[in-house]
Amino acid sequence: MNKQRSKDYRQRVDQALATPKLQDALHQFGDAFLISREKAFAGHDFEALRGNISAMKTEVRENHDELLQQFIDNAKAAGTIIYQAKTAADANRYITDLAKKKGAKLAVKSKSMVSEETHLSAALEKAGIQALETDLGEWIVQLAGQRPSHMVMPAIHMFKEEIADLFSKETGQQEPAEIEHLVEVARNQLRQSYLDADIGITGANIAVAETGGIALITNEGNARLASTMPKVHVALVGIEKLVPTLEDAARIIQVLPKNATGQLLTSYVTWIRGAVPCAGEDKEFHIVLLDNGRSALAESPQCRDALNCIRCGACANVCPVYQSVGGHVFGHVYIGAIGIILTAFYHGLDNAAELVKACIGCRSCVAVCPSNIDLEEIILHLREKVGDDEGIGAGKALVFRKVMQNRKLFHTMIKAASFLQKPVTRGERTIRHLPLFFSPLTEWRTLPAVADRALRDSFSQKSQKIDKPRYRVALFGGCANDFLYPELGLDLIEVMNALDVEVYYPLEQNCCGIPAIYSGEKETAVELAKQNIKAMLADNPDYVLTTCPTCAMALKHNFVEHLKDNPAWAERAEQLSKITIDAASFILNQLAGAELFADLAKSEKITYHDSCHLKRGVGVWQEPRHLIEKSGHELVEMEHADRCCGFGGSYSLTSHPDISKKILQDKVADIQASGATCVAMDCPGCMMQIRGGLEKSDVPIRAQHTIELLAEALRNK
Amino acid sequence: MPRAQLIDQFSEAAINVGAEVISVDSISAAADYIFAKIEGSLLVPSFSSGARFKLKSALKKAGVSTEVDNFRAVAEAAEGGITGVNFAIADTGTLVLESTAEDIRLATTLPPKQFALLDPGKIVADGMEAVKPLRQMHQRDSRNYIAYVTGPSRTADIERVLTIGVHGPKELFILLVPGLSDDFLEM
Repeated sequence: MNKQRSKDYRQRVDQALATPKLQDALHQFGDAFLISREKAFAGHDFEALRGNISAMKTEVRENHDELLQQFIDNAKAAGTIIYQAKTAADANRYITDLAKKKGAKLAVKSKSMVSEETHLSAALEKAGIQALETDLGEWIVQLAGQRPSHMVMPAIHMFKEEIADLFSKETGQQEPAEIEHLVEVARNQLRQSYLDADIGITGANIAVAETGGIALITNEGNARLASTMPKVHVALVGIEKLVPTLEDAARIIQVLPKNATGQLLTSYVTWIRGAVPCAGEDKEFHIVLLDNGRSALAESPQCRDALNCIRCGACANVCPVYQSVGGHVFGHVYIGAIGIILTAFYHGLDNAAELVKACIGCRSCVAVCPSNIDLEEIILHLREKVGDDEGIGAGKALVFRKVMQNRKLFHTMIKAASFLQKPVTRGERTIRHLPLFFSPLTEWRTLPAVADRALRDSFSQKSQKIDKPRYRVALFGGCANDFLYPELGLDLIEVMNALDVEVYYPLEQNCCGIPAIYSGEKETAVELAKQNIKAMLADNPDYVLTTCPTCAMALKHNFVEHLKDNPAWAERAEQLSKITIDAASFILNQLAGAELFADLAKSEKITYHDSCHLKRGVGVWQEPRHLIEKSGHELVEMEHADRCCGFGGSYSLTSHPDISKKILQDKVADIQASGATCVAMDCPGCMMQIRGGLEKSDVPIRAQHTIELLAEALRNK
Repeated sequence: MPRAQLIDQFSEAAINVGAEVISVDSISAAADYIFAKIEGSLLVPSFSSGARFKLKSALKKAGVSTEVDNFRAVAEAAEGGITGVNFAIADTGTLVLESTAEDIRLATTLPPKQFALLDPGKIVADGMEAVKPLRQMHQRDSRNYIAYVTGPSRTADIERVLTIGVHGPKELFILLVPGLSDDFLEM
């Protein structure tokens, strides 16, 4: 592992976390974005729209050579000069040479992420040509000597006072920090440059094969000026921007502004084809088609969906990690979830190595992606690659390979821990303080102690008196339910028995393997999948229940994915996937059992926290709410109910505890503001995090699993 | 969708993004409106419906100070620019301007005030319906610069505060003039 790189990265994280003003701004932006986005999509079927885009972009990838040739032929027929650049250096050299040949002194640029990708401005400056950014945000960032921290809003990390200082230096007079005034300053300062510039440089949002033209989707009007005033226009275009027809272009235009800024449409959509008139002559129009890693990306079956991205930036807007540290930390040139992936291919895996670990895996980006890209899945794959290339650390590897894969040893060690922890738990169920270098772990949340008796050891002691069970189900406990919260499993038995369902606990079950996947250790995950399939199917259960949605996701999706090409296992993985279900959904959908709990509970004001993997992993959020309300509680919604709690398994324990802490603070604040006395959830991991956060900050709100609440209600009978 | 409903939807959407929508019954009424809105000069490029209805002389008659050529030299100092509209898109309040002729571009990008004459009969429902005339424009001419204009220019780049009028026009006036043109391919 590259120690210096990790150290530098840690430093950037610490710095960002020490800037609450930035966090506030990004949180407010995230909230406002979701509201305006929802408004913009009112009356539209987002799932259908993104399905269309995904299918169309996939078709483009499959017929790329043909479509690219069609684009080139049509563009040339309209008088466009085409250059195909294999690398960033090729593109920069072509544009710099062209500028030199024209004797250019000044190039005006409108916003182009591809030019950021190639560091074009630096290349031009080196050749003695001034490259002036004219997009307001880009200009601000250029004056500050920084790089954009967001793909759509480059200067979102800056505040008007800083901008006023930058502008004052430019104009030579004190500019007041009023936004409207500062916008006017930019207008006036940049105006003359359009007239003076020898070259205008733009990007393109879309390249249409049918016409050989490009489309620019913009708001400020600078791209229109940069493509109109100078005699030479260069459009720098990534080859993934290709679409077959004008209809396909219209579909992207229909979605992109709505998903980027919540606008129905941007102020300008500009369709440019060929050498249009310019000052009495034909404009000289160059299109530079950039590969720079895109073909390599297309060759990667696990990652190539990332080419479907239309650069809306929404994956950053909704990301709790981005909202905590900003795009200068959670990004390289491209930022956010898509940025991590593009960085790996366009700027090298080394530049992405820290970033692939910074994703907490909450899947909020996947839910809003207009191209339906499973960003988390791709990031996990890249994490595995970094793990393969650099190693995941000797200690970690030992734990996963030698310990976890050997269930008996793994479980013996956990049980040993329950004795070793005695000095710090002082006989209590939670650990409030840890000594020495472990102490940061319990500074901001308590941790649950390993239970004296694991669920697997208590299970058979609990009598189940059902004469004719409707179903016989196996419980997949998962490590947290088994060793930290065994009472949750016992509550499940009570609830199921009341519904005439018998529960048994296959003792050979092991960890679901998600922690291994999240650490980039796939080999262990595949081995665990096999062990668990064998264990869970051994006794032919009617269903397999889970109390942990991360485990549910593993059993339903990951095992199938890991073993789909293994004929000995594929079918059994499918079988387990089919019968696995989270406990709340099982009660409601398979058993129609809500009525049993009707008004049994001692009514309490309860707010519900959606666990990432339950809502966005297995698509469940209404079922637990329904059961809680039915049982007689008052359900009050908190703000951001489906925002991550910051747990993320080892994310909060070892890899990024500081970011985890910040995300937990947000969650605790939302829970408190709801006015509830109890927060319900369906995930032991979230319970550990949220309980720990509430306890440590002495907030008298309890955190319970939905199954625990139902068991409580039954006991009230 | 019935025509009246399309016009309503278009107007509402255009107003929502900061444009002004004004119904007038003739070119001379449009010229009077423009005279009331600007003091400086107005760029008046050539376009078919404007020529047919003698827009330039109507503006002069109303008292508007007009510029009709040499735009590269005079555009920077002009207060406004006026063009026709090929057609409009209802759901987003968008104007479609075939802007391949450079004067159309100069008149709609540089001055702070943008005026557009739209025949309310030329409105399609949405961006997907706009593709048909868009494709026809591409088939008719071999080179194109076609602009979708939705409200005045805007930015939210400083602290995410929406601010109108950055590099492009600060104000957009859409004048609905019935009987101007029924051809989607002409401005």
